[in-house]
Amino acid sequence: MREKRLLTKHMYENPLDSHTIKSYINNGGYEALRLVLKESSPEKVLDEVKDSNIRGRGGAGFPTGTKWGFLAKEEPRYLVINADESEPGTFKDRILLERDPHQIIEGMIITSYASNISKAFIYIRGEYAKSARRVQAAVQETYQEGFLGENILGTGFSLEIVVHLGAGAYICGEETALLNSLEGKRGEPRLKPPFFPAAMGLYNKPTLVNNVETISAIPWILQNSGKAYSKLGVEGSAGTRIFSLSGHVNKPGNYEIEMGCTFREFMEDLGGGVLKGKKVKAFIPGGASAPWFTGGQLDVKMTIDDVAAAGSMLGSGAVIIMDEDTSMLRAAKSIVSFFAHESCGQCTPCREGTTWMELILERIESGRGRASDIELLLDISDNISPGLEWPPKMTTICPLGPSAVSPIVSLMEHFREEVELLIPRKISL
Amino acid sequence: MSWKKTLITEAKKLIDMYPEKRSALGPLLYLALREEGYISNEAMSEISTLIGITEAQVQSVATFYSMYKQEPVGRYLISICKSVSCEISGSSVVNKELMEATNLNHLESDEDGIFTIEQVECIGACGGAPAIQVNYETIENIKEGKVSELCNWLKTEQPKVINSDEIQNKFGGITSFDWGIHDNSGTTGPYPGFQGYKTTGERL
Amino acid sequence: MTEKIKISVDNKVFEIQKGQLLIEACEENGIDIPRFCWHKRMDPVGMCRMCLVEVETPRGKALITSCTEKVTEDMIVDTESETVKKAQEGVLEFLLINHPLDCPICDRAGECPLQDQTMEHGPGESRFIEEKRHFEKPIPISDLILLDRERCVLCARCTRFSEEISGDPLIEFTQRGNQTQILTFPDEPFNSYFSGNTVEICPVGALTSTSYRFKARPWDLKSNQSTCNQCSLGCSVNVNVSQDKVLRYLGIDNESVNQGWLCDKGRYGFEYIHSENRILKPHSKIENEFVETSWNTSLGQVAYRIKKSLEFKEDSVAFIGGALGTNEDNYALAHLFKKVIKTDNIYLSDNFFLSHNLLLGDYERATIDDLDSSETIVLWGQDIKETLPILYLRVKKAVRNGAKLVLIGPKTSSWSSLATLNITYKPGNEIEVVNKMKAKRSKEYKKLVELIEGRSVTYLIGKSTVGHSENLIEKFITYVREISKAKVLPLATKANILGAIHMGLFNHENNLLDFIDKARERKIKTLIISGTDFISNSIYSKELKDALTYVEFVVSLDMFSNDTSQRADLILPVTTLNEKDGTFTNIESRVSRQNQSIPVPGQAKSDWEIVNDLLEILSCESIGNSEFQINTELTNNIQGYSGVTFTELDKPSNKKGVIVSQKLIHQQEEEIEEEIEEEIEEEIEEDTDDYSLIFYEKLYGDKVMQRNSPSISFLGSSRHIQISPRDAKSLDITDSDNIKLTVEDESMMLRAIIDQGIKSGTIAIPINRRGVNHFGRYAHGKIEKISEGEIFNVN
Repeated sequence: MREKRLLTKHMYENPLDSHTIKSYINNGGYEALRLVLKESSPEKVLDEVKDSNIRGRGGAGFPTGTKWGFLAKEEPRYLVINADESEPGTFKDRILLERDPHQIIEGMIITSYASNISKAFIYIRGEYAKSARRVQAAVQETYQEGFLGENILGTGFSLEIVVHLGAGAYICGEETALLNSLEGKRGEPRLKPPFFPAAMGLYNKPTLVNNVETISAIPWILQNSGKAYSKLGVEGSAGTRIFSLSGHVNKPGNYEIEMGCTFREFMEDLGGGVLKGKKVKAFIPGGASAPWFTGGQLDVKMTIDDVAAAGSMLGSGAVIIMDEDTSMLRAAKSIVSFFAHESCGQCTPCREGTTWMELILERIESGRGRASDIELLLDISDNISPGLEWPPKMTTICPLGPSAVSPIVSLMEHFREEVELLIPRKISL
Repeated sequence: MSWKKTLITEAKKLIDMYPEKRSALGPLLYLALREEGYISNEAMSEISTLIGITEAQVQSVATFYSMYKQEPVGRYLISICKSVSCEISGSSVVNKELMEATNLNHLESDEDGIFTIEQVECIGACGGAPAIQVNYETIENIKEGKVSELCNWLKTEQPKVINSDEIQNKFGGITSFDWGIHDNSGTTGPYPGFQGYKTTGERL
Repeated sequence: MTEKIKISVDNKVFEIQKGQLLIEACEENGIDIPRFCWHKRMDPVGMCRMCLVEVETPRGKALITSCTEKVTEDMIVDTESETVKKAQEGVLEFLLINHPLDCPICDRAGECPLQDQTMEHGPGESRFIEEKRHFEKPIPISDLILLDRERCVLCARCTRFSEEISGDPLIEFTQRGNQTQILTFPDEPFNSYFSGNTVEICPVGALTSTSYRFKARPWDLKSNQSTCNQCSLGCSVNVNVSQDKVLRYLGIDNESVNQGWLCDKGRYGFEYIHSENRILKPHSKIENEFVETSWNTSLGQVAYRIKKSLEFKEDSVAFIGGALGTNEDNYALAHLFKKVIKTDNIYLSDNFFLSHNLLLGDYERATIDDLDSSETIVLWGQDIKETLPILYLRVKKAVRNGAKLVLIGPKTSSWSSLATLNITYKPGNEIEVVNKMKAKRSKEYKKLVELIEGRSVTYLIGKSTVGHSENLIEKFITYVREISKAKVLPLATKANILGAIHMGLFNHENNLLDFIDKARERKIKTLIISGTDFISNSIYSKELKDALTYVEFVVSLDMFSNDTSQRADLILPVTTLNEKDGTFTNIESRVSRQNQSIPVPGQAKSDWEIVNDLLEILSCESIGNSEFQINTELTNNIQGYSGVTFTELDKPSNKKGVIVSQKLIHQQEEEIEEEIEEEIEEEIEEDTDDYSLIFYEKLYGDKVMQRNSPSISFLGSSRHIQISPRDAKSLDITDSDNIKLTVEDESMMLRAIIDQGIKSGTIAIPINRRGVNHFGRYAHGKIEKISEGEIFNVN
């Protein structure tokens, strides 16, 4: 199988200057915007996006057209682009931000036009400094070109874009936590209801929050029609998607493909197969929050619904391959530790439970584990995500808690003996 | 020390960019970080006056985020990723080497004020694992031995601007994706180099 | 309109008000869902996750937090299912893994929601064998409050209270995840006037007060409801007593007054009751020394003088009071002076006293609850955050719910940002406010009229500075009553002032200056003082000091030795709050109960007892031999008070108190003078050294009762002025410099604090400090910087 480049087309064809407006325009950029402003209407744009069947590329996979339709009528309204990519294993937004920022900007302008928005923000994580520089330079170029600011192309539509930097908090990738962070507060998720961003978002006004990759697809959709987009990929997972492949493979990296192939095909054809020809012990299909698949599930299709049915999630589109020599406990501990450090601390189960699990795993790793620890880990997990079901139930405010539970459940489900081997047995004489 | 007039003017410009003053809290904290290398109590007092919230509220936000350093840091902040992709690709070996090369532990700074090291979570360079950042400029796929080289180079050269292309060339391996054109922009200290907060510099 | 709907909880059907929170609805129907972070008076946040219940949804049963869920028609709720029980056990186990085993040394033990809920819903044992989180403990976060971060369960009640309710967000979460902790900013302690409330609502022993720390265990305490009398709001308090000592006040949720909150002065200001400095025996001054004497002898002396004054028709007996006592006390005093001694020489010592015209005038009265239904609230008077703190909380709540606030005064205050409109004027120029409202020429006055015209408005009216003319206040009220649906609440701040007036005490327009004149003319031979230390506190203290020298015999009914009682010839020890039964009338004319919780100390007597004893010696008819009897008397005789007997007030339905309607004095129909349209002059910065002085009361001062309450005794000791940044610059003054204030040839050294809210050309001075208050007579003064080495004596 091969890549299908829609969003990554321009950057690969013009590696030297894909991030400049000159190159972008020379290669057809901002044509979609012109078309929309001159010949279309907000309603028509919304219809195209609905027709495309595109689902959010951030991790939740919510149908974008539906999301746009939910936006309340009250003014002022805001658009916020979520560029706080922090899910371990994911680096697909980074390539879009660094190599083709104008695609994102064009998507933002079209989106704002369609939803009667005149102020937009792009929230970039602080560690992506280079990306932020590229985006800011691009925004400036766009202002100069006249596609941003007052009365764009003489249509009366105006838009301001502000580039805002995050400061090192994974939880700010959660949309309501992001809005809190953008308001100058602690990045703590809000209660939903009532704080659905479409009704009560930034400054309690209606806000659209979209992922970088989602918004990058908008120009193509408007230029080539939503229907054309929906024909790509498969039912329930329309279009192309950039997957970030990492771990024990020969060719880690970002690959844009039409959805529908299997993980095996993806890993072998594009990822060059497992490093040193080893076997796959386990792999994570959708970023650190996703439950693990074992080598036996490589033939699951890479679509949102297939992966969900198989007991995990496509999530942020990050595939992490772990070979037969990987210590599963260490991998699990790394993920649990991540969530313990990134927990915002608001609610009891996540704040206390994730740290507790981290401490237990550390103890097991250092040889001081106890026989009761495995059940204890599972019970703590049950107190965070009752029933250990999939999709998970939660006793917490946001899904970060249940995400921390995924590796524990996967670890105990598939690799329990490995853990038990680390726990010293009592020797009776 | 209270903020100079020019700094306050810069701060007010940032505040004007947002519909509500408080949104500028993040950017103003970056200004404070730029001026003093960490978020001092005086800086938090100044910011609280500019924005109109209490110092306790500024402190509450500043301490929530890991990039707003609460203690003075060295000129070069070396952050090594410890998340799962890097962990299974050997980041612990690199970490050990970093700790030995600098003789420091997590979030410690050396006496000369040159290095601070920290272990951080995923920096989005998983395709080039293991990865580190120097002042938030990324080096992907840094192999054994290269870390000590990096530390030596930083110590002797003391570059004014850290540029990711330069350090990737010198000390890195494969990248997560093709970085495309090299550019000379970088950062001037232990904070992200961003034009909006005047923390960028050009490598000569 | 309260629409009712049906829901089913644990297989029982209840009728609930639509839109109510599920947890509250269950509580009101006897189903107690455990919780930590939810508090009835604050917005829900769903953080602790303790209140999880199962609710039927189209997709099956869902675990939701009952504190954030509003009830809907036909909701089916299960609070006791296995899933819920496991969740509750889980949350408690999580909370306890880092909670220290401090119960034996923790104030909260015995009345601790964490203990109670663990016993009720928790797992039997903890499985946590790792190291718990450690913090330095406890750390003082203010003079009154200590913080123990290890005990904290991060429910955010204290931070939410400080932000939402009191508007002083000085404590906040810092760090994140499992490192989250409550902290103040370095060198910015938790100096909120309401900090004590956070100790009360903290569900664990993380916040403790220096006043109560380690003093008692809750099972040793006896509780009694009463009414605080530190100001005229009359907040409902729960008095906790052990071994005949009052140890602690807790707030009672009186929906109409304080809604569960207390200010720190009221909460901790009771400590004087057990001060060892209390005078407990009568003392007579013999050759400038105070010597113990007996009641018989002392009362004999007083009665003798009263008799002589009556016999010789001298009218030489006078009374100066402070309105501290109960209605029963004041009724007795009124009876004695008006009916028996038949004198008009009755004077109130109150620097901010409002005229009877204002207090009893014939306009529509506001209650505190009216704030919640007003479109606009106008405050022109004292800074209520300082003088009536809980009223400020009620105003803040109303504003949070949509009311528009207008603040008028000679300076802005720390909470002016709450107001939609702030109007300031130069002190002395109060007339321009009404004029400018009528002229409607300037933008801000146009806005003011817009905010009140035709709307339902509550006016909180008082004296914004000592020299604020009551005439002008009346003119303002008359005008706004014409253009808006006005309800007025006059801000008489001093304790039981309205009650005293209703009882017949102080019902003339007598001014202390009249007393001073009369005394100097030697017309006053006997002076009886009760409940006031006017030599320390009055703006006329200098003249009064002089006047006292002309009075032959001074009797002071007091608890402590102070500047006034020291000048008396006879000190009679009196009881105070909690040592007697009685009733109290608050600023809305709401009468509530005060209960005796501790025995009378030493030989102290209540004011009414002293009156009774005098009546006996004078062979007059007694008015009653117990508080109950006097209460019966006054409810029979005082117009409007028939419904406030002890028995009535003790009924549960009257726990909030009962408002008595008053139709006493009718305001004289004043001619509304035609105001000549004055040319509204531009404010020209006068080139003068003289500053207009604004005297105002701060919550904490240095009155004798506060000085003898250890927890708060030093909080009001700072003597300072507030000066505008511009004037400070021109005088070369920096913050906290010492300055010299000169008023009418007298000088005083004070600290200068730079304050953005002060207008150039004016100075604000907290008046309730000894040595400062007598300056309050004057409207202008000079300020100079003090050079190094100059020292001033404070008189």
